[in-house]
Amino acid sequence: MGVIEVEQIKEVVSCVFILAGVIFMLISTIGLLRFPDFYIRMSAITKGASLGVGLILLGLGIYFNQPDIMLKVLAIITFIFITAPVAAHVISRTAVRNHSPFWNKTNLKEFEEYQEKLHLDKIKNHDRYREEQKTEKKPSGAGDNV
Amino acid sequence: MSLFQITLTIAMAVLSLCLLLTAIRFAIGPTLPDRITAFDLIVANVIGIIAIYTEFTGNEDFIDVAIILSVFGFLGSVTFAYYIMKINV
Amino acid sequence: MKTFYLHSAIAFVSAYLITHQDPPPLPYNAFSTAFVFLVIFWILWSTSWFYNKPYFRKMPKALFFAVFFIKELLVANIKIAYDILTPRYYMRPTVIALPLSVKTDLEITLLACMITLTPGTLSIDVSENRKILYVHALYVKNNDVELLKQYIKNGFERRLLELTT
Repeated sequence: MGVIEVEQIKEVVSCVFILAGVIFMLISTIGLLRFPDFYIRMSAITKGASLGVGLILLGLGIYFNQPDIMLKVLAIITFIFITAPVAAHVISRTAVRNHSPFWNKTNLKEFEEYQEKLHLDKIKNHDRYREEQKTEKKPSGAGDNV
Repeated sequence: MSLFQITLTIAMAVLSLCLLLTAIRFAIGPTLPDRITAFDLIVANVIGIIAIYTEFTGNEDFIDVAIILSVFGFLGSVTFAYYIMKINV
Repeated sequence: MKTFYLHSAIAFVSAYLITHQDPPPLPYNAFSTAFVFLVIFWILWSTSWFYNKPYFRKMPKALFFAVFFIKELLVANIKIAYDILTPRYYMRPTVIALPLSVKTDLEITLLACMITLTPGTLSIDVSENRKILYVHALYVKNNDVELLKQYIKNGFERRLLELTT
C-alpha cells in the first residue's frame, strides 16, 4: 500500500514538472516566431528554453529516483545553465558586429557612440588591409586583430 | 493507458509542434544570427524529446545521448557564430 | 573557494560510499543520497569556523544569492510569457551602458551570464577597455534608465563583489 502511494506521488510530481517545462518551451517558441527583432527574440528564448529543459530533466530525475541518474541530470542542468548565456552572448555580439537592425521603437541613445566607433574601426581595418595588399602583395594579418 | 502516459504523450506532441515552429523560423529567418538562434532552440527541443522518450521506454541509457547533445549543441552554435563574425569583419 | 571545492568533493565521495554499502543503511534512492550529501556538507561547513572564517561567513550569503536568483528567473519569465501570449507589446526595449566596477575576467563573465539569464535583459557587448557593459533591456519603468542601472548594480554586482573578494 505504502509503496504504491510513493510511486503515484513520484509520477504526479514528475508530470507537473514535465508539463511546466513543456509550457515554457512552447511559450518561448511562440516568442521566437512572434517578436519583431533579433535581440528581443534572443532575450525571450534563452531563458525560456533553458528553464523549460531544466524542468523537464528534473521531472525525469524525480521519476527514476536513482542517485546516478540524478547525478547525470544535475550535470546536464548545470551545463545548460552555464553554456546558454555564453552562447547567447556570442551570437548577439556577432549580430552587433554585423549591424543587425534594431526594432524601430528601441531606445538607442547610449549605444550609438559605440556603434560609430565599431564602424570606424571596420573602415580603418579595411584600409589597412588594402595598403598591406598594395605594399606586400600578400594579404595577411589584417583579419586577426578584431 | 494511465494518466502518466497520457501526460507524456501530450508533452511529446507539444514538443514536436515546437520543433515544427522553430523550423519555420529557421527557414524564413531574415539574417544568419536568427538561424543560429533557431538552431540553438532546436537542440534544446531535441534534448527535451530525448528526456521524455527515456521516461516512455524506461531505458536509462538514453540520458547519455542528452549529455553529448548538450555539449555538441553549444559547440555548434558558438562555432557558427564565430565563423560569421570572422568572415564579415 | 578552494575550501568549497574540497568540502564538496569530500561530501560527494562519502555520500557515494555510504549509499553503496552492501546492506544499505538507507533506501537506495536519490533523495536519501542528497540528504546524506547535504548533512555531511553542513557538518564540514560548521567546522570551517575554526580555520577559515571568511568561508564560514560567505556561505549563507551565497545561499541567499542563489535563492534570489531563482526567484528573479521565475518571476520575470512569467512576465515575458504574459507579453508573448497577449497581442499587444508592453515592452520598450532600450540599450543601456552599464559602467562596471568588477575587474577580473571571472567576475565579468559571471555578471554577464547572470544578466543574460535574468529575463528582460541581455548582455550584448563589452567595450574594449572592459569598463562598460552594453545591456539590452526589454522593460524600463517610466523610461527611467538610471533606476534600472541602480537595480542591477545593487542587486547583482554588489552581491557578487561581496562573494568574490
